[in-house]
Amino acid sequence: MPGLQNIINKAGSIEVNRRKVVGVQITRNEIPRTSLTPTRQPWQFIIEMPNSLRWYNSRDIIESLDYIDRYTPQQVTFANTCLDWMFAYQGSFSGAEISALTVASFSGTVLRLNNVPVKSGGFVCFKQNDLIQIGANPYPFTVVGPYNPSTQATTLGDVTYSTNTGGDLYITMNRPNFITSVTASGITVGSSCTFNLFCPNMPTYKLIPGGYVGNDTTTTNNALIEFSDSFNLYEWVGGAA
Amino acid sequence: MENIPAVANGATQINSAEFVKLTMYNDYSNVANTSTYTFSSAYSNVTISGTVYLPLGGLLSVGPQTRNLRVTEGDTTIALSGISGNNIQFVLASEGKIRGSLVEVKRGFFDTNGVYANSYTRFTGIITNYSISEDREGKEDNFTVVVGASSYKTVLQNRIAGRKTNKESWRYFNSTDSSMDNVYAISGVQFDFGQDPKNKVTVPGGGGGYPNPFNPGYRQQED
Repeated sequence: MPGLQNIINKAGSIEVNRRKVVGVQITRNEIPRTSLTPTRQPWQFIIEMPNSLRWYNSRDIIESLDYIDRYTPQQVTFANTCLDWMFAYQGSFSGAEISALTVASFSGTVLRLNNVPVKSGGFVCFKQNDLIQIGANPYPFTVVGPYNPSTQATTLGDVTYSTNTGGDLYITMNRPNFITSVTASGITVGSSCTFNLFCPNMPTYKLIPGGYVGNDTTTTNNALIEFSDSFNLYEWVGGAA
Repeated sequence: MENIPAVANGATQINSAEFVKLTMYNDYSNVANTSTYTFSSAYSNVTISGTVYLPLGGLLSVGPQTRNLRVTEGDTTIALSGISGNNIQFVLASEGKIRGSLVEVKRGFFDTNGVYANSYTRFTGIITNYSISEDREGKEDNFTVVVGASSYKTVLQNRIAGRKTNKESWRYFNSTDSSMDNVYAISGVQFDFGQDPKNKVTVPGGGGGYPNPFNPGYRQQED
């Protein structure tokens, strides 16, 4: 589907912004105080497009962007062959083993997976920054590290197999769960995850003569497309209830 | 003093969100006929005292609230998104009933894993006014619903109750009570209570004549 997926596939650079809503104050005696508003922490991608897109070959993309404008979300992935390295799954589970995993619970930021195949100690199930999508909900979460249900503590690092938790995996994710029905859902990992994004600043475009198409006998007039700004893609988290 | 664990013991970090509840009276003669609207700045539904606070309500901001040890009048504002959702609809469809709605603002606290822990009430009052504003600049067009709320102190301070000393007010409570029927007839007439109604001249006491039965120290002037 042309549109935002084309922008991601042809990106010149991608800036990721996942900063939380926080308050920071430094007291008179230089002691920091912080507060956090527990939001849905939407993904933000700021994508700069190279000025190499040709009008003659890109009119479908332009029309799609004009159609979705600044208010319509589209589901996109980073599974393009040029980008699939970006969010590639880093753990050691096979595809079939991933497909068998199900969500036992997802409370706050703590995700508990069951139906975990028996592995030897130290087996790397997930690494930090691995994407996990719950069911068909296009809102990927990232792995922060293992969660210890006994001490209720999170450790930054790999999530390894352990028999101490009854064979279940406890993982601290980057943001709290805002999806209502998660129990018994399957998961998707890595670059197969889907993002639901829209572009609230959808830039306009300028046509600059160039990029002529010729076949030795005729020349087709053409133009290079220059966008007025970067594409600030913002996760459409309002769709989850 | 109320103990709030989330901010006690010199906590250097808190996780908190705002929760707003509007209770609108659909029928003034039936206080049980209400509609409840909830808003929050949290990431998901949170149930507080049996009420589910919705994160998708469109809460934009909550104004400052004055808290004082003594009873203090204080107003605050609550800004709601007027885009999609039904905020404009419920304000307009109320046909003015939004004014007088009960409003309650709470601050809820979450643990480090983002799990809701508890909440505390910050403000209780009623909505005294509302406004719907459009902010259009070029091709940016946004709508905001702002409701103003006053604390009970302000409401009670501005409240006038009681009966007026006229016929209508008196008969409102008792249609056969004629005590105030003549008020209109004597309205505006100046009376010098305690003086002679004939010549309205005051005579110092001790001068002879007959004592006035209404004022023993007064004697009528002799011609």
